[in-house]
This record gives sequence, structure tokens and C-alpha cells, in this order.
Amino acid sequence: MGIVSTDLHKAGAIAVSVKDVGMVFGNVHAVRSASFDLPKGKFLTILGPSGSGKTTLLRMIAGFDKPTSGEIFINGQPVSAVPPHKRAIGMVFQKLALFPHMTAAENVAFPLKMRRHDARTIGEKVERYLELVRLGGYGGRRINELSGGQQQRVAIARALVFEPDLLLLDEPLAALDRKLREEMQLEFRRIQRELGVTTINVTHDQREALVVSDEVIVMDGGEIQQKAQPVHAYRSPANAFVANFIGVTNFIDGKVSAISGSTVSVESNGQVLAGVVAADGAPLVDGSACSGAVRAEQIRIASARTALEGLETIVEGQVTDSIFEGERMVYEVTVPALGGAILRVFDHDPVSHLQFGPGENVRLGWNAKDMHVFKK
Amino acid sequence: MRHSRAAYPLTWRVMDVLERLAAAVWPSSFQRGLPYLMLLPAVVLVGLLVLGLIQIGDSSLRTLDTSTFMMSENYTLANYQRALSEKFFATVAGRSLVGAVIVTVVTLIFAFPYAYLMVRTPSSALRKFLLVALFLPFFIGQVVRAYGWLIILGNQGMVNEALGLVGVPPMRLLYNYPAVLFGLVQYMLPFAVLMLAPALTAIPAELESAASSLGAGWVRTFRHVVLPLARPGLVGAGLVVVTLSLTDFAIPAILGGGSQDFIANAIYDQFFRTSDQGLGATLSLLLVAVGSILVGVVFMLFGAGTLAMGDERK
Ligand SMILES: Nc1ncnc2c1ncn2[C@@H]1O[C@H](COP(=O)(O)OP(=O)(O)OP(=O)(O)O)[C@@H](O)[C@H]1O
Ligand SMILES: [Mg+2]
Repeated sequence: MGIVSTDLHKAGAIAVSVKDVGMVFGNVHAVRSASFDLPKGKFLTILGPSGSGKTTLLRMIAGFDKPTSGEIFINGQPVSAVPPHKRAIGMVFQKLALFPHMTAAENVAFPLKMRRHDARTIGEKVERYLELVRLGGYGGRRINELSGGQQQRVAIARALVFEPDLLLLDEPLAALDRKLREEMQLEFRRIQRELGVTTINVTHDQREALVVSDEVIVMDGGEIQQKAQPVHAYRSPANAFVANFIGVTNFIDGKVSAISGSTVSVESNGQVLAGVVAADGAPLVDGSACSGAVRAEQIRIASARTALEGLETIVEGQVTDSIFEGERMVYEVTVPALGGAILRVFDHDPVSHLQFGPGENVRLGWNAKDMHVFKK
Repeated sequence: MRHSRAAYPLTWRVMDVLERLAAAVWPSSFQRGLPYLMLLPAVVLVGLLVLGLIQIGDSSLRTLDTSTFMMSENYTLANYQRALSEKFFATVAGRSLVGAVIVTVVTLIFAFPYAYLMVRTPSSALRKFLLVALFLPFFIGQVVRAYGWLIILGNQGMVNEALGLVGVPPMRLLYNYPAVLFGLVQYMLPFAVLMLAPALTAIPAELESAASSLGAGWVRTFRHVVLPLARPGLVGAGLVVVTLSLTDFAIPAILGGGSQDFIANAIYDQFFRTSDQGLGATLSLLLVAVGSILVGVVFMLFGAGTLAMGDERK
């Protein structure tokens, strides 16, 4: 990673580089020693629970707050001494921060005017960007005459119109209803691809992170837990926190009974379960306490063992709860052999309409490669 | 016992007793009348004002008979003619109007940064200090404060003594127009800050961050974002300051030393020096008219600012 990033620096392909950046408010460590590189044109999502330091990190990149330690580089240049209005960064705020005394077009024209663009080109450019966000013809509307989703798009047009090097999005979709939010996520993706602008998006919506990003950073307690491509973060989470934060994951606690290469056996309540060593996780040794993580959708549920043919681990259990969620069934199954652990299972089977009710005896099965074993 | 007190605090019990008393005195069948009853004091007070205005209107139409010192029986417009034609009154009116406008502009310019700092400072200690400093002058009456300035600015006052130390001969700092304007600005500042602060609080700090990330330095952020959004506060504060300055009595009287009369001083002289109630009443009515027109024009040009309530406010 280190060697690769310096090579990229030389090629000028790194848009943002964050080096050991920390931020302390009084005695709160909002961000601790965060480091990452973001290549030009990529879409990065910072994902994390409330209070994990996402906004703080973004505000430091935008220049509103100065890091208490470390340095941020934009296009290879250190920027601590550069005020926000001298950085070419477009930002969409959580509360949008549109200017209420201006029309949509005036809002979009504002950065061009402030950056002293030629007055004759402004009108044409504003119209082009309003069209890009599918608001052609809405320029004359006042901000309070636009719907939430339309205001959203004005804010995006305003942040993009001056062709910034970097676009920062601080949970701008959080306030929208689910359907509109999902539409806007795809819209973001489309616009970002069309313009090729490097983007950092902040969210605590894991679905959004997976849908829109080239790269995901998962943060917790001010620390970066993992930086990876969405598929990678999902399939091989670096630690239990990431596994639990993205998707729904079952944890089976035990201790390492045998380890060879990437395969590992976990002993839990006398049972031995086969799994794989979590790819980016801390190293495991024989006998150490560990936790096996299996995602809810990677567990198959059936009434008979024969239906689970081919799966490497099969346990018996009893359904304690069964929830209909439309496109899937969610089961909670108590497994006596695992010390009464309750496993969550997603069953997407639109064809069979098979349903298990509470109290029914079932069998659960999963593959060894789907159980990621983390050090505890 | 402890339990029930927490769940049902003493204040609620007191309110219960009061409500029972109220129910006895004011049976529930009269409930519908209650809102009107609550409106009554305000209506009576405003009504008295209107009665007073009618009385003043009546006096303004009578002239003073200088031989008997009695008001004439018949109505005439002679007072209005005098008020509008005599040069002395034109001078006083001009001085008051120009003064009120200058005081308003200067006060708003001084009050804005003060209010801005008070609203935006991250330090709550500084905010409290600024608030207390703002309210302190209210505890000292206007007249006492004006006398304070006499002591500070007088020929043997602190300012002249300090200037004397660096070899500057004593200057006449009092009893002139600038002294009156200075006193008025100092008096109006807290009012303006108090009117501006809520308007500035209503501007999200994030808008300023947004402006800066969009390429505006602080000067342009101020000009294009803060100032336009603060307009309701500026209009409201401006209206209060302009009307209070235009009609002020004590500061022109004390710091002007009789040579810098404003309209209110001229009215006072008519009532209590020359005892010409008629002319005094005429001047009063003209002052009310000029003030109302001024406020009306501002309303039409800029809206009512923070003084506008309900729907008009955006
Ligand atoms: N100005 C500040 N002063 C003091 N503490 C702060 C300040 N800003 C943030 N913090 C603290 O820093 C931590 C991280 O805050 P931050 O706003 O970055 O979280 P976040 O990840 O954006 O959360 P959310 O998803 O709720 O927006 C929190 O514990 C917060 O209380
Ligand atoms: Mg946040």
C-alpha cells in the first residue's frame, strides 16, 4: 500500500491524501490518526455510526476545522494553511445550506460569481448544471418553492458548477424518504461518473455505501476500521465491528482449535466448526479466543438435512421468531448445540413460499468459507 | 409522600387551587368571554391614547390670546401656519430628522458587529459578558447617563484632562450637535443590538461555511449572505432607533445645553415656558405625522423587518 501510494503521488493521480490526521475537542478524540489516499475520479464513502467522527474528518478536508495533528494533502499539496474559500472543494451540507434569499439559479451562480467567472458565461453554465441535475427550467424558483429532493439537487449543482477538484457530501440524503433517497443515490452515481469528479460521501446508511462507492471507509470511535472496495468490505470484513456494521451478522464465540493456512477450526460448546481466517483481520494463534462471523443471508434454512446437501456446517435448532419482510423471511433460530445461541437467518425464496413458524424444528447450514473467524 | 411530590409538583397544586378559585369567581359559562376580558386592558390603554390625541387635536386648533393667556374659543389653522412657516421650527425639525437618520445609521453600524460577535462566539463566557454589558446601561436612567457624559466631556472633565496631559488645550466637547448625536448613539446601541441578535441567530452558521467553501472570503460572505439575511433585523432595529431618536428629549436637552433642541424640546418649551398649549399641541401632532410617514415609507420600501409578524415573515 505504502509503495503503491507514493508511486501514484508521482503520477499525480492522488486527489486527496490524509496522513495521520487527528482532531481533539477538549478531551474528546473525534478523529484518531486517520490515514488514507483517494485516487482521482473515485467515489469514496465514509461509513460509520453516529459520533464516529465522519463529519469532523470531512470538515477538516473542507478546511472549516484545522487538524490538531497530521496533515491533509490535496493534489499533493499540504493544505492546513489554505482557507476554505481558496480550496477548490464543493461541499453539500447535511442541512443543504442553500441561500434562502436567492433563487435556485442564483444559488448555483453564486460560486461562479465569487470565483469571478466571466459574467457572460455564467447564465449558460448555470442552466447546463441545472439540467444535469434534472432541474432545467426551475432556475427562477425560490428555494422554499422547491421540494426536498429538488433542493437537494440544487445543492449538488451549486457544489459542482465551479468544477471543483473534490466533492464532499455530508449525509445530504439523510432527511429524504427511502424511495427518493435510493433514486438520489443512483443520481449521485450517474453525475459523478459523468463529470468524473473525485467524491467523498459520508453516511451511516450501509446500503448507500455499497450502492454508490468505489471505496468504503468504515469508521468507529474516530478510528478507521477498514478501507476497501464495497464488495471486499462486505465479503471479508477486517474485524467484528465492520462485519456487524455492514449487513446482519451472527457471531459464534469460541476458541481456535486448529489452524492451517487460511482455514481454521473453532471450538464452541464442544462443537467444532470450520471457518476461514478473516482476510484483513488480526492474526490468530492456536487456543486463542475468537469469534466466527456468518452473515444472515449465508445461512440456509430447511426442515430436513437432505435439503442442505453440500453445506459444510449443519446444526439443528428451533425457530423462536419468524418475521415476514416482503421480499424475504427473517428467522431467529435457537441452536442448543451452540449453547443456546440465537442465529438470524434471511431466507429469500420467492418460489416455494416456504415458511417456518415459531417452535418448528429446523436445520441450518452454511459453508466453511462463509464463516470469517476474528480474534477476540 | 416523596414519590407523589415528584409526580405532582407543588406548583401544580398551587395552580389547582387557583383554578378552583377562578372557577368560583368566574363560572365556566362565562368562559367564552375570557379572551375578550384579557384583551380589555390593552384596548383601554390604546383607547386613552386616542382620547388624548383627540384632546391634543382640539387644542391645536385654538390660539393663545397673549393678553388674557386664555385659549381662543373658535377654531383656526393659525398654529399650523406658524409651525410650518416660522424658520425656527423648520430648523428644529431639520435638526431632529437629520440627527435621527445619522444616529440610526451609526448605531446600526456599531451594533452589528457587537450582535454578530455575541451570537457567533463559541465562548459562552464572552457571550454572557457581552449580554451583561448590554443590559447594564438600562439600569442607569437616560438622564443620569447624560449627566455622566457632562462630567466626562466637560471642560474640566476626564477627556479634557487626559488631552491636557499630552499638551492639547481644553476643547469644547459639549453643547454642540455632535455631542447630542454621540449621546443618542450611546443610548440607542443596546436597543439596536437586542433587536439585531435574534435576526442573526436565525441565520444558520452553516450558510457562512457554505459561502466560504463556494469561494467567498469573509467580506463577500458578509455582503452577499449575512447582510441580506440580516435585513429584517436591520429594518426592525432601524425603525426603533429612528423613532426613539426623533422624539428624544433628555439627551438634546442636557448634552445640547439648550442650543441643540430637538422637536420634543420645542414642544416642551411651548407647553411649559410660553404656555402656548395650542402651538405645543400642533407641534406634537406634526411630530406624530412625520414619524408615522417615516415608518410607513420604510415599511413600504423594506417591509416591516422583524416587527412584521405572522405570514408576512418569510
Ligand atoms: N465542535 C465540537 N466540539 C466538541 N466536540 C465535538 C465537536 N464536533 C464534534 N464533536 C465530537 O466529536 C465526535 C465526532 O463527531 P462527528 O460530528 O464527527 O460525528 P459523525 O460521525 O459525523 O456523527 P453523525 O453521524 O451523528 O453526524 C462526537 O463525539 C462529537 O460529540
Ligand atoms: Mg455528521
